[in-house]
Amino acid sequence: MTFQRFLLRRALMVIPLMIGVVFITFMLVRIGGLDPVGRLAGPTATQAEFDSIRNNLGLDQPLWKQFSIYLGNVVRGDLGESWLSNRSVLTDIKERAVISLELLFWGVGIGALVGVPVGLRAAFRPNGRFDQFTRVLSLFGFSIPTYWLALVMIFVFFYLLGWSPPAIGRMSLLVTPPDMITGSYLIDGVLTARWDAAQSAASQLILPVICLAIVSAAPIIKQTRAIAIEVLSSDTVRYAHACGLPERNVRKLVLRNSAVPILTYIGTEVTGLVGTMSLIEYVFAWGGLGQYGLNAIISGDFTAVQGYVLVLAVFSVLVFIVIDFVVYLIEPRSELS
Amino acid sequence: MSDATQTELANANPLPVRARVWNRFAGIFWLSPTGAIGLFIILFFALLAIFSAWLIPHDPIAAYTDKVLHPPSAEFWFGTDGNGMDVFSRVIYGAKFGFGIAIPAVILSLVIGIPVGLIAGYRGGLLDEVLMRFVDGLRVFPSIILALAVVAATGQSLLNVILVLGFLDSPVFARVVRAEVLGLRSSNFVESAVAAGNPTWRILFVHLLPNAIQGAMAQTAVRAAWAVRISATLAFLGVGIQAPTPEWGAMIRQGAEYMVSGQWWVALYPGLALILLVFGLNLFGDGLQDLMDPRRRSAK
Repeated sequence: MTFQRFLLRRALMVIPLMIGVVFITFMLVRIGGLDPVGRLAGPTATQAEFDSIRNNLGLDQPLWKQFSIYLGNVVRGDLGESWLSNRSVLTDIKERAVISLELLFWGVGIGALVGVPVGLRAAFRPNGRFDQFTRVLSLFGFSIPTYWLALVMIFVFFYLLGWSPPAIGRMSLLVTPPDMITGSYLIDGVLTARWDAAQSAASQLILPVICLAIVSAAPIIKQTRAIAIEVLSSDTVRYAHACGLPERNVRKLVLRNSAVPILTYIGTEVTGLVGTMSLIEYVFAWGGLGQYGLNAIISGDFTAVQGYVLVLAVFSVLVFIVIDFVVYLIEPRSELS
Repeated sequence: MSDATQTELANANPLPVRARVWNRFAGIFWLSPTGAIGLFIILFFALLAIFSAWLIPHDPIAAYTDKVLHPPSAEFWFGTDGNGMDVFSRVIYGAKFGFGIAIPAVILSLVIGIPVGLIAGYRGGLLDEVLMRFVDGLRVFPSIILALAVVAATGQSLLNVILVLGFLDSPVFARVVRAEVLGLRSSNFVESAVAAGNPTWRILFVHLLPNAIQGAMAQTAVRAAWAVRISATLAFLGVGIQAPTPEWGAMIRQGAEYMVSGQWWVALYPGLALILLVFGLNLFGDGLQDLMDPRRRSAK
């Protein structure tokens, strides 16, 4: 299958999924029957004011019409304006996306760099001491509430030991942020040779990144182990053993054969981690997309919630596509089902 | 066959039923010691929840206004929080919320998910296609964000949290049951049940259900762990369950601001309790899945 056909097929498969996603997003804030008009109008509003707000928001239209308008807007890239601040939701999200992506990149990257080797090692000697230990440890990692871990880390490393700066966001208040190039303070600081800014950004990053890495490593360890064990009992590996291939080469073979399912798993895990990350952002006052979304949910800003949830879903779908593509590159025979 | 041989056959099994059940139960301990530890942790918290009224030294919502933020002492084992409430009593009492939310939520998921999985798997066709697409669509949203948004939109009450968690988690069970039913649909016992003229509902719930339910039951403990975790997260964000309620997530929320000023006990203890219960449920769930899935067992 050629690359063009791959892209085309993928795009065709995504369209119904995306329509479903937009529909779920649309219904999400409407199932409750909570009326935002009352909140916007205030307690002293007259009936005429109510009606005009309702009309402005398009809420006097029938539901199917609201949905078709919403779908049309979304296709044109218009996510509407925040009902509370009147700012464009898309602009707000764009500004914050890079901030969250940076955190996600480091957190999942480190989580995978630790998790995959640990999981592999556990699989090579199932039920050995290392396996037992890491199995309990990863189940423990599953069970830790992220926000609590973040709070405890702040207490230990900021309050008790004084090693880390206060959890007030991405940069110390005493340092001016570097000129914007990529949006990541760390990278921008390095690029513009603003070493004080880069250093401050790095020291602010450490705790949230460790937090996210711990939470993401636990399931990666478990899944890598399960995948590698399955590969180890496959005919390929048994044949390699029977041929008398040295252990080192067999392990290489195992790694090569587990790469695809492990990669696919990490891709699916990212979806859930985006949710977890928002809690970390919330505790560390990170100011990224996750914190924006949580605040929108808590304050009942429906357009912002819709925009946020929709962007998360689109992001997950994009991650799936990228993973599919990478899998296609390393394993062209997989028929991209 | 004579009557004598029949009674002989009936008596052939040397173990009475009760002993066999017990042996099977004890088998958990041999096959999965970690699962057994998990079960003990769950039982421990269950006892705390049931007997909390006798175990707590103070009223969990009584504010000792002259003893605000006292560190752990002989009188207040886990210290007092910002309202002067006893953290120890609140942590013990909080176990009620853990079970009170997780058990009904998981039961609701089962009640919704199993019939949907049965019908989708047995009928197939358009209905199955639409249902599975919908489930796929739900999967691209992070579950915590979905739960948060729905609870925030539908109104914030304990009952609502339970309903939302139950609904959102039902696809997990629907999926497992559907996969089982797909495998069983064309087996002999189903075909003979159809040939004998059983109505569809009877085939689904009398013939297929007992054979397709194992995988779903194995998931229950892990899903309960999920429900406990998510409900606490909602409370931590102030969605669903509100502040003076002695729920662990809500308590961590109250203690969050004190972490940077050194009053660690307010948030630490409810967090530890939460971890331990979720950990126990996960351990038990892991063992349960091993027990019910022979393939997983042999893989180890």
